[in-house]
Amino acid sequence: MNFKIDRIILIIFLGITAALAFLPNFVESEYLLRLITVVIFWIGIAGCWNMMSGYTGYIDFGPVVYFGIGSYVVAIAMTKYGIPFFPSLFISGLISGSVAFLVGIPTLRLKGAYFAIATFAFAEAMKQIALEFDRTFSVSFFQGSDGITLPISGHDNSFFFYCVLPVTFLVVLAHYYIEHSKFGYGLKAIKEAETAAEISGVNTTANKLGAYVSSAFFLGLFGAIEAYWITYITPSDVFNVQKTVQMVIMTLLGGMGTFLGPVVGATFLTLISESLGARFVEYYLIMIGGIIIVAILIMPNGIIGSLKIRKKLRFI
Amino acid sequence: MYTVFVQTIINGLLLGGVYAAYSAGFSLIFGVMGVVNLAHGELIMLGAFTSYWLFAYFNLDPYLSAPFAMILLFLFGYVVQKYIINRVIGQPHIMSYILTFGLHLMIANIAIKMWTQDFRSITTSYSGANAAIWGLNIPLARLVTFMVALLVTWVLWFFLMRTETGRAIRATAQDKEVARLMGVDIRNIYAITFGLGAAITGLSGSVMSPFVIISPEMGLEYTIIAFCVVVLGGMGYMPGALVGGLVLGVAQSLAATYLNAGVSVAITFIILFIMLVICPKGILGKGSVA
Amino acid sequence: MKFGALAAVQMVSFSLNPGEILGMIGPNGAGKTTLLNCVIGIHKPTSGKIFLNQIDITGMKPHKICRMGLAKTSQIMEPFMAMTVFENVLVGALHGGRMRMRPATEQTEKVIELVGLKQYAYKLSGSIPVPARRRLELARALASGANILLLDENMAGLNPHEIDEALEILKKIRNSGKSLIVIEHIMRVVMGISDRIIVLNYGSKIAEGFPEEVVNDETVIKAYLGGKLSSLKVA
Repeated sequence: MNFKIDRIILIIFLGITAALAFLPNFVESEYLLRLITVVIFWIGIAGCWNMMSGYTGYIDFGPVVYFGIGSYVVAIAMTKYGIPFFPSLFISGLISGSVAFLVGIPTLRLKGAYFAIATFAFAEAMKQIALEFDRTFSVSFFQGSDGITLPISGHDNSFFFYCVLPVTFLVVLAHYYIEHSKFGYGLKAIKEAETAAEISGVNTTANKLGAYVSSAFFLGLFGAIEAYWITYITPSDVFNVQKTVQMVIMTLLGGMGTFLGPVVGATFLTLISESLGARFVEYYLIMIGGIIIVAILIMPNGIIGSLKIRKKLRFI
Repeated sequence: MYTVFVQTIINGLLLGGVYAAYSAGFSLIFGVMGVVNLAHGELIMLGAFTSYWLFAYFNLDPYLSAPFAMILLFLFGYVVQKYIINRVIGQPHIMSYILTFGLHLMIANIAIKMWTQDFRSITTSYSGANAAIWGLNIPLARLVTFMVALLVTWVLWFFLMRTETGRAIRATAQDKEVARLMGVDIRNIYAITFGLGAAITGLSGSVMSPFVIISPEMGLEYTIIAFCVVVLGGMGYMPGALVGGLVLGVAQSLAATYLNAGVSVAITFIILFIMLVICPKGILGKGSVA
Repeated sequence: MKFGALAAVQMVSFSLNPGEILGMIGPNGAGKTTLLNCVIGIHKPTSGKIFLNQIDITGMKPHKICRMGLAKTSQIMEPFMAMTVFENVLVGALHGGRMRMRPATEQTEKVIELVGLKQYAYKLSGSIPVPARRRLELARALASGANILLLDENMAGLNPHEIDEALEILKKIRNSGKSLIVIEHIMRVVMGISDRIIVLNYGSKIAEGFPEEVVNDETVIKAYLGGKLSSLKVA
């Protein structure tokens, strides 16, 4: 019954993506293209977080670590080993995913606040390791707080637009898959009642790990793209906890565990910060704090989540 | 060689005492309500600023202004819990994280607006004073804070164990439904608990003010350390904050002396991560895992 | 099975034959739920073995045991609140029954029909009344295609009429060739449906046999009913 609506939304989504693919041909202003790219970028990143935490209910407070790993892998692969961008990009995703696999096995056994803190601790530990590794072991690998300068790409904004768009597209498509697949039902069951899911035959460990690793894989790709875009990375930038916070807040505003949540939340917040952030820098963070508090108190399910409950829509 | 080691341990213990002093409130709030308070560092910041302004305008010694910080923060905590955080109790964990994170953003940035981002410090006659015994240096201000940590832990323990309100708090922590049936006003107990947690945190901020840098943005760093301390000691287990603080302080101090200063932060998080994975109940094994 | 120094269940051995309904009774705290939780792998027994068709399943993970054909309903109902009744049952079919989407959907429809939940199928499981939730627990277990169902007080809180309906469903399930273990406090249910009954008290088995044997067993009457035989006669 509702599957019909789902199909329609999927088709609309595919249509919008296809239309977006031609965007750089029409948009004259570099600023506008850059802004759109940033929005799409954040939709993808927030989506990565939603994929894991939104659907399983396991609150990951350290997703930025996989973003950072992606950035560092691409930087080291390109500068130290001279590997071209696209292969490096792919390696970034793979390494992020593999690290997530190894880290996920012990941490995904933890529940509630413990999982959140453990992921946070891991992210901060990685940041500190990237900062201090070279000095401690007298080598030159991560280059500590000096950071790494990547080869200048010489590409314009539309190049990065075309890098970001397909990855975000895949992330959103993954959401659609989660909503309609065995894997996704497993995740949602884990979120609602983990023991009940387990005795109903859900391999909870494998399902959680699957979500965690795929989220990390995509985050690695985004990290790599951003590193190449900005061409200069430091541990404090790429492992910045502020990024985690942003993903969480965007998803939460839009609606956790919903298909359109990250899309709405990321668009809304990026545009707000773009329009207010520039003019009212001083009040911007106070307002964000206020928006968060008000949103949690009056709309705990996010924009999409509230809509979903009110209109009794199964999917979106 | 030997002196360096002992000095390192002493530094670590004193540092740990400071950690313990400002983490006890975090543990209390988590233990009773299950709220991970991400605005914890802001409570420290407000405590430190209370002392700072009283010192700046009335030349009041920070140790004398500590009671004011306690009272102010109790009221602040009580109101925040009663009208804001109470509304997400019983909802998924994430709600309390995000809500308190929103509070963190607001408080910190309003403070920046009011007091600017400047770094401030309180210079008292004893700020840099050291007691030298057997060739070891013991900074007095830190020693006092260490004492305060012990005192706070002991008073809090006594309060929870021996007073009527303390019993109501413990009953609520164990089973809020049963406590409600026994006639405990849960919302009020929560507000008192949060007020209490805020008060001892403000107190610690106040007694730390002679030797730390005070700025509106100082909070987050303290929140993170409090996190680590409380996990090491066992979440929600009061004396755990003291043990966790001391262990972390010594570990950091050793790392700073024998590896390099930057590594000590890395060590903190590595210990935290390993601890959570291996033994989430904390060193003493008495924390709550839920 | 021990919790710390406390032995919750000890020295209990029993078996279940194909197509049989085994009733399990005993006072509160006798260890019935703990015993079944050991069987399906939620708790790891400290000693002892559990076999399913001659295969040792002791200490296996719950999802594996479920997929091998052993499913349990929970005494405290744990539906996946934010999902519809249909989706709840679907999880059992997809994961427990290891099916693909299409056959799982068909299976789910069948099971929902069988337990009579059709009117609630597209309601959120958090919003349906208790009797329906009890059936949902049953449906989720059934959907996994398990041959053995363990029902832990699946009729608690139902009125006599609802119990009759539930009994009809259980009979239908048994007739389709499945075996059941039924924990129940309502004597009418246990006596009326069980082929065999075992009685637990303080974590030990104190009696086993046909319903009429158990009713007349001295130790059972003493331990379980405090001497009052009359309440058993409802059967």
